[in-house]
Amino acid sequence: MALLTWQERHQFPDWDDPAQCRFQRVTVDLDRCDGCKLCTLACPANVLEQYGEKGHKKVRVKASVRGCISCNNCHAICDRGAIQATQHYDFSGYYRQFGRGEFAKPRIF
Amino acid sequence: MTEGSARAVSVEDPEEVARKAGQDSKITNVPEGAEWNAVERAMLERRSIRKFKKAQVPGYLIRRLLEVARFAPSQGNCQPWKFVVVRDTDMIRGMENFCVEQCRKLSSALDYATMPAGSPRYWVARLKAKLLNRLRPNMLHPVPVTAVTAIAEGRFAVFHRAPTLILILADKRGIGDPAVDVGICGTNIVLAAQSLGLGTCWIGLSTFLNESRDWCDRLGVEAPYEIVETIAVGYPVGDTTHLVPRETHETAWFENGQKRVVY
Repeated sequence: MALLTWQERHQFPDWDDPAQCRFQRVTVDLDRCDGCKLCTLACPANVLEQYGEKGHKKVRVKASVRGCISCNNCHAICDRGAIQATQHYDFSGYYRQFGRGEFAKPRIF
Repeated sequence: MTEGSARAVSVEDPEEVARKAGQDSKITNVPEGAEWNAVERAMLERRSIRKFKKAQVPGYLIRRLLEVARFAPSQGNCQPWKFVVVRDTDMIRGMENFCVEQCRKLSSALDYATMPAGSPRYWVARLKAKLLNRLRPNMLHPVPVTAVTAIAEGRFAVFHRAPTLILILADKRGIGDPAVDVGICGTNIVLAAQSLGLGTCWIGLSTFLNESRDWCDRLGVEAPYEIVETIAVGYPVGDTTHLVPRETHETAWFENGQKRVVY
């Protein structure tokens, strides 16, 4: 028994197809975000950018940029708790992920 | 001072005093629901830091990190590691330039996602990538490929301008799997660094340096040793210690003849 089917083992996802290579799911709470840009510095994949008028700046994920690895460095550096990755990346075929549960902060047992 | 207390002080061995203090600080009876201890906190608050302050880390702190690395567990106590510390800005810049150049070559040869779809170049790169994917499925995972292209395009760096690099070399003759031992040893380094207020980042792409005779000579990388990982060390920009959410993992739990699944 194997988790990957024979077909999946021989299917490598197309790097240019978002349906086969799903990267980021980052949510920004616009009420809390003050556009301080710290998260854009912390982001290892450099997928965040600042936008908006002076005094009303916010942060968002750059359009059509691959690479968010859901590391949540953006959340770790944000003093306002305004940004976080809420889902892990996943790929089709050979790189399909298994056994991933919900996102949770460190839980005390 | 009485004679008795004077005698007590004179027999106190400093090493013994430190050992006792260490035992006292250990919480041996942890009740359910207890807060994180200092070691756990270091593990939970550690993030990979890619933005460092310019200030150099004092040499004695790096020696401290190497000292805890030395005591990491390894298979058969074979200690298959060797460290190279680089703290010269020019040298680090040279290493960066070399690795960036390698990324450019790799990206322009393989990353068809950056090429005009349907062009001959696209199809050639795609064919090569799909073949190599089978041979090197770990290296050509979509995530590192994306990073390599970002580096090639100047949107991302290899060593992140860290003031100190600790290269970890592995002895290929190590018992079992030397790369695992290097990982365990490096974990000592990054957790100790976290507890000392330093930021670190694992840099696997530093293995490109193994391909350069020139850099191997300069760094003293000789067979049977090869670079497995590099740990960038510096003072982090910003406070990165807010705890983050991360996915839970399916875990099989066998007890009392029963299997259950926990997350």
